[in-house]
Parts: sequence; C-alpha cells; structure tokens
Amino acid sequence: MSITHETTDDTARVGIEGELTIYTVAELAAALLPQVGAAARLELDLSQVTEMDGAGLQLLAVIEREAGINGTALSLTGQSQAVTQTLQLCRGAAL
Amino acid sequence: MAKSVLVVDDSSSVRQVVGIALKSAGYDVIEASDGKDALGKLNGQKVHLIISDVNMPNMDGITFVKEVKKLANYKFTPIIMLTTESQESKKAEGQAAGAKAWVVKPFQPAQMLAAVSKLILP
Amino acid sequence: MSINLDQAQQTFIVEARELLQAMEQSLLQLENEPDDQDAIGAIFRAAHTIKGSAGLFGLAPIVGFTHIVEDVLDRLRDGDIAVDADLIALLLKCGDHMLELIDVVASRGEALTPAALQRGEALREALGVYHPLHATTADAVTAKAADGESAEVLWHISLRFGADVYRNGMDPLSFLRYLQTLGQMVQVDTLTDSIPALENFDPESCYLGFEIDLRSTASHATLNEVFDFVRDECEVQITAVDEAPINPASTGTELVTQAEPTHRSTAPQRVATASEAKPRDGNYVRVNADKLDELINLVGELVIASAGASLLARSCNHDPLHEATSTVSGLVEEILDGALHLRMIPIGDTFNRFRRVVRDVSQELGKDIDLLISGAETELDKTVVEKIGDPLMHLLRNAMDHGIESAEARRAAGKSSKGHLSLNAYHDSGSIVIEIADDGAGLNRERILEKAQERGLVASGAVLSDQEIYNLIFEAGFSTAEAVTNLSGRGVGMDVVKRNITLLRGTVDLDSRPGQGTVVRIRLPLTLAIINGFLVGIDQATYVIPLDMVQECIELDEPQRDSSREQGYLDLRGEVLPLVHLRDHFNHEGPAARRQNVVVVRYAEHKAGLVVDDLLGEFQTVIKPLGKLFGALRGISGSTILGSGAVALILDVPALLNQLVQMEARTAQAPQSPLVVAR
Repeated sequence: MSITHETTDDTARVGIEGELTIYTVAELAAALLPQVGAAARLELDLSQVTEMDGAGLQLLAVIEREAGINGTALSLTGQSQAVTQTLQLCRGAAL
Repeated sequence: MAKSVLVVDDSSSVRQVVGIALKSAGYDVIEASDGKDALGKLNGQKVHLIISDVNMPNMDGITFVKEVKKLANYKFTPIIMLTTESQESKKAEGQAAGAKAWVVKPFQPAQMLAAVSKLILP
Repeated sequence: MSINLDQAQQTFIVEARELLQAMEQSLLQLENEPDDQDAIGAIFRAAHTIKGSAGLFGLAPIVGFTHIVEDVLDRLRDGDIAVDADLIALLLKCGDHMLELIDVVASRGEALTPAALQRGEALREALGVYHPLHATTADAVTAKAADGESAEVLWHISLRFGADVYRNGMDPLSFLRYLQTLGQMVQVDTLTDSIPALENFDPESCYLGFEIDLRSTASHATLNEVFDFVRDECEVQITAVDEAPINPASTGTELVTQAEPTHRSTAPQRVATASEAKPRDGNYVRVNADKLDELINLVGELVIASAGASLLARSCNHDPLHEATSTVSGLVEEILDGALHLRMIPIGDTFNRFRRVVRDVSQELGKDIDLLISGAETELDKTVVEKIGDPLMHLLRNAMDHGIESAEARRAAGKSSKGHLSLNAYHDSGSIVIEIADDGAGLNRERILEKAQERGLVASGAVLSDQEIYNLIFEAGFSTAEAVTNLSGRGVGMDVVKRNITLLRGTVDLDSRPGQGTVVRIRLPLTLAIINGFLVGIDQATYVIPLDMVQECIELDEPQRDSSREQGYLDLRGEVLPLVHLRDHFNHEGPAARRQNVVVVRYAEHKAGLVVDDLLGEFQTVIKPLGKLFGALRGISGSTILGSGAVALILDVPALLNQLVQMEARTAQAPQSPLVVAR
C-alpha cells in the first residue's frame, strides 16, 4: 500500500494504492486524518485501491465525518471496482 | 484474482475434498500437511483464509494459529478450525488463540463451502 | 451441489490403509514401551483422521466404529486408562476391523460378512469396558437437512458488531456479501454513529452496525447460522417483517446514496486465472501406478527407438549425426534410470507389516519370538514388493511354527528361551536378496530325504548334498509338518511359495544347520520392466541374456570345441564350467558357425557357459512378456524388439541353469559322472 499526496492552492489530493483493509487502516488513518482540515478541499483518489473491507469503509466514514466537522470539502475523484462494489453493497457511497 | 484459501490438514483426503469443494466455487486452494508446512506456505504468497485441522503432527493447529497471529501479514486473516464434537475443549482453545470460526468434522463439502463463503467470497 | 468425490475417496482408502498400518506400528511400539506418549498420540491421530475423513464421504459404519475407538484412545491419552496387553490386543483387533470396513468401501458396496459384523459387535462391547459411558450405537453422520422451498419472507436483520471483529479475521462486509447470496437485499443501512471521536478512534476496532432488509426463502435458522462465527461479538436480531417495508429506526449518519440501485445480486464474478499458487502436497506427489506403468512403457519404446536410431547413425558415415545420437542415447538411459527409480519403493513397509504377524503368531503358539529387521531401506520394484508379501508371510509362519522350538526345548538345547527371527534385504549383482533366518532347530535332513524317497521325488540310493536335500521341501506335494497346526498346515505348501517367487523371475533356496537354524534366501530381480541385456546371435536369430548375469565371454577355439562338445563342459582356468549349446537347445538347424563363443553366466551360486555363434554387445531392452501360448517354453522369459525391428528372445538364465542342475542330479546317480555344476 502506498499513499500519494500533493497540495495545490487550497486543495489536497490524496491517492491510495493497494489495500484499503484492516491490514492498512492504521497506517492510512495516521497519514490521512491529519490532512482533513488542513486544506479547504480534499480530493480522494481511490482508483488504485485493490481491496476494501469493513475497516476500510469505516475509515472512509470517519474521514467524511471529520471533513464535515472541519468544514473541508471532500470529494471522491476516482474509485476502483473494489471500492464501487463495497460501496454498493452497503448502499452507502460516502462522499 | 480469485481468493486463495490455505487448507492445513494431515489427511490428504480431507485436503482433497475441501480442495474440490472450494475450487468448484472458484477459490484458489493451497494445501499444507501440518502447521509447520503451512507456515512455510504462508511465506511469500497472499492467502485470504486459512482452514486448519487441530490434531496434526509436527505442529498442531492451535500452535499454528498462535503463530499466524504473530505474522504481520496474516494476523487479521480469518481462520476456520476443523474440530470434532469430541474436542470441545480444543475448540475453546482455538478460539482463545484467535480462530473464531470452526467447522465440525465430519462435514459435507457443501457445509465447508458455506462456512468459507460467510468469511470470504471467491 | 454435486461434487464428484470418487477420486478423493480413492485417496481416502489408500490413506486410511496407511494410517491403519501406522497405527499398528505404534501399537506394537506401545506394547514395548507403555509410556511412549508419542506412540499414543500417533495412534489417536490415526483413528481421529480416519474418522474425520470417513465422515466426509458419509461412510457411517467407519465413522461409528472409529468413533468408539477414538473415545477409548482419548481416555488413554488423558491417562484415564492404562496401557496393558489386553488393551493393545483389543486395539490391534479394532484396527483389523477398521481395515475390514475400509475394504468394504474399496470393493464398492460389498457388504461385511456376518462374521465380520459379529467381530465388530464383539469389539464394540469390549471397548465399552474401557468406556462405560459410551452407548454402542453409532453416531450417524448428521446430514444437514436442506431448507425446504418455503415462501419468500422479508426479513429484517439488525447487526451491531463488537470491537474485536476485524482483529479476529472477520469482515462484517463478508457477512453482507454472503446474505446477498441467500436472497435480495432490499435495503441496507450502514450505521457509523458508534465510531468514537477522533482521539478515541482506533482504526483496527470495529464500530459498524447494519440494518438490513432481506427478501429470502431462507429460514430464520439459516439466517441465524450466517453469524455463527461472530456470535460472541455481534448482536444479531433477525425478525420477519410485514410486506410493507418499515423504515428502520436508524439514527446513524445517512450516507448519501449514490450507487446505482442494485439488482438481484449475484456473487462477484470469478476471475478464472491460471492459479499462480499451485497446491503443493508436501514433497510427494501421489501418482496413479497405471500412469507410471504407461510412462515406463513409453520410456521402453523410447529406448528401443533410440537404439534403432543409433544403429542407423552408425551405418551412415556422419560424425555429427553419430555424436548427436550418442548424446540422445545417454539421455535416454538417464531417463530410463529415473523412470525405473520412480517405481522403486523400500521393502521396509512390507517388513514392518510382519511385526504384527510375528507378535500374533508367537502368542498363538505360546512361543517368545523376536523379529529383527535389517535392510528395510533396500529398494525394489513396486510390483515385486506387492507380490512378495504372501510368500514371505508363509515362510515366516513356517519358521515360527516349525523352525523355532518351544521355550522348553530351546532351554534344553542350551539356547536362550527367546527365539529369534530375522528379515534382511540387500542388493547383490543386480538382484535383491531377501533372507529369512531363524535360530531354531534346523531342518531334519533324514526326515526330508525319507519323505522325498517315499514320494518318489528322489531315487533311492541317490547321492545328494545336504543343501539339495533341504531344497526338496520346495518340491510340489512336500510337507514336512509333523503335526498339522492351524498355521502352516493350511494346504499352502512351500512349492506354492517357490512358484510365486519363480513367477517374479526370482529364485529361492534354503540352508539349514541342525540345532542352529535355517536361512531361506530369496533372490529377485530389481525390476520386471526393463533389463540390461547382452545380445548374442545364433544363425540369423538374436537372443538377449540379462547382463547382470553375464560374467565374461570367451572365444571357443577349434580344439576346445571338439573336446567340450564331447564332455559337455569346459575347463575355465581350472574350474569345471558346464556348457549349454544354445544352437542345439533351441533346435537351430544347419551347421554351427566357424567361430563360436561362450558367454559365462552366473545366477545365485550356479555358473555355466552358453555356447553361441556371435557376440553382439550390450543392449538395454524392455521386456515384452510372451503370450500365454508360449507359457510352456522353457528357457525363454520374454521377448523384445530390436532397433532394427526384429524380435529377440530373452533367455531365462535361471531356468537354463536349473535344467542343468537337474541334469546333473540325474547323472549324479552314476557316480563316475564328471559333470558338476560349478559353485
């Protein structure tokens, strides 16, 4: 799993490559949660996510919640098939 | 990419039956004949679920589960223990070690497939 | 779901037999060392595995019986009951009965004999003594009753997962996915309101909950079962609701529904990829013996074809071609060795099987007999191993029954009261030798001779060496048993033993010393499929002599020819070498070639010279058995096809030598006869 990160003006762009699962959520949370609120806009690119589970879903929910609290505009700029399937399953496409 | 299941049992016919059932549903199956063998097989390949017998030579199932729980890449991997009705204490031991799912031997191939499907789909 | 388990069941049968074998070994081990926990563990594991696997195939009789055995073994393992001779004897019999049950499966549906059924009942009863609580009824395999096709119901499922769910390897979403396979998920609400504030949020803890409406024909029990594995850490409520979908009382964050409406879900599509992670079964691959035979047969053809190619290459003067074919020949030879090696298995397993026999028989006879095994790692062809079991068994029983004396007789003879039997195997000049030795009384030379004369096997007045007399017991219709016991005197004579060994292209002979014991030596070819042959020519015909038996070749010069033809033997460096004129033996007409050669062959301790026209050199060849039509042919053991396409007959050297020995026995009656088989 790796994270790409770039900030231009008021927009932070974060991309996740690899698993968005219990094996990676701790690392992802540590890297991503501080970003929320640091910029006015946060763009999440999940097009390179290979696997997603409940723990990943839960982390996305937390990011969404924190974005709301901090007034950060959150948007999803890409989602892989694994992400789409998971979001469809729980009828929740956060973001 | 199909999900892979590691089947650990010293009985090759059990491995074969489980293998046939799981492969027919689209899983990849990796076989190991005891705990030690299984730890070797975990090294270097992605396994999404582990099915392990309790009573095996070289390394029994309980010890194996404890070892798996120490592996960074596998500590969250679901494990199904194969127990028998006469092994209630072993079941508790297995659960304490971290294998929360179990299938009671003897089982029908369909039962095994159902148990696996609850934890991961192919 | 129908899954074809036939092949797996074959595996089970093989495996169960091996396990029973292992169980028996461990039981015998336990008998010697009652404290051996490893042995107890191994015995338990064997029974346990058999029961578990038998259940997979719905083999209720095996499961039922083994279950009771396993219970007793469990108590043994826990130290609730102690090891004693009775228990070991009982468990050995249980193993036998399990084997009977497995044989029934192997023979597809043939029922147990009433006697076997009775044995089973008696064993259950006997086991009950060690496990008084256990009812003698078999546990039937619980076949899961299929859910009847009930009407579709709208279920509401409410889930609250506990914190440790992820850590235990469970993914809440996997249960949702599984529910999808049971019916139509009408509504799913993901509850995230239990996720704590950031400072207390642990991404590896689970805080999720779900409210699900599922339209399904599955029963409440089936739905409930879905959550068996998370029962301890998940609140599950499943209720049937009215058709009108209720609005779940969800207070959680309503995630914006953006995904397209789901259709009746199917399982995610399988990606049929060539699996990269191929299953590997330890270090061994179980291969059907037929496939192996097919391979060896093909390799045989390859050997022949390659020999043909070499022959052709030699005839056209083309060095590179010659080189190429010789490289190919070299490789083919290696492949042949490798292929043959695949069929070689150590004799140890067969030997170990006799520990039980020795134990049982010695108890039956009231004798104390030890079995010593050596050379267990000696390898030979699988077919030979399989077929040598019965003759060995018979020889062992015979040795215990008639060879080894009772304890009193032994003490009286100044020997230790414990009798010793030994089984030994080793390789010797291209064959394997198996020795069965006892330290008993030895054979009674006079009785054998008397009996042989009585039966007309030996002419009265014939002069026979001790060894020849001893070997008379392998003659048809000969039985020395003074008292017919229930062991050896069961109508199977030593002649049958000899015939079976001969069928394997082997020989048997016996040596005995009064008061010291008897040694039976069986000599067998390493493999039945291929031999290294030595080609010889007579007229236009080609014969193959097994190379292992060829000792040397000599040219027969004119004067020697005449004298040897007259005498029937040759002076080989001072040794008397009887000759067989193959030209005469096989009735080749026409005059003998101007030059003749002698191939000196040896088998066991017999040696002779075969007189032929031409020596054509070594040739590796595949044995093609002769049809039944040629069964009566003496001196020929098979045929092969030469590279040129011609057929060559393979000489049966042991048979030829035997004929010579018999001839000698006949002429030996005339005391002046000079013909003695060189030893």
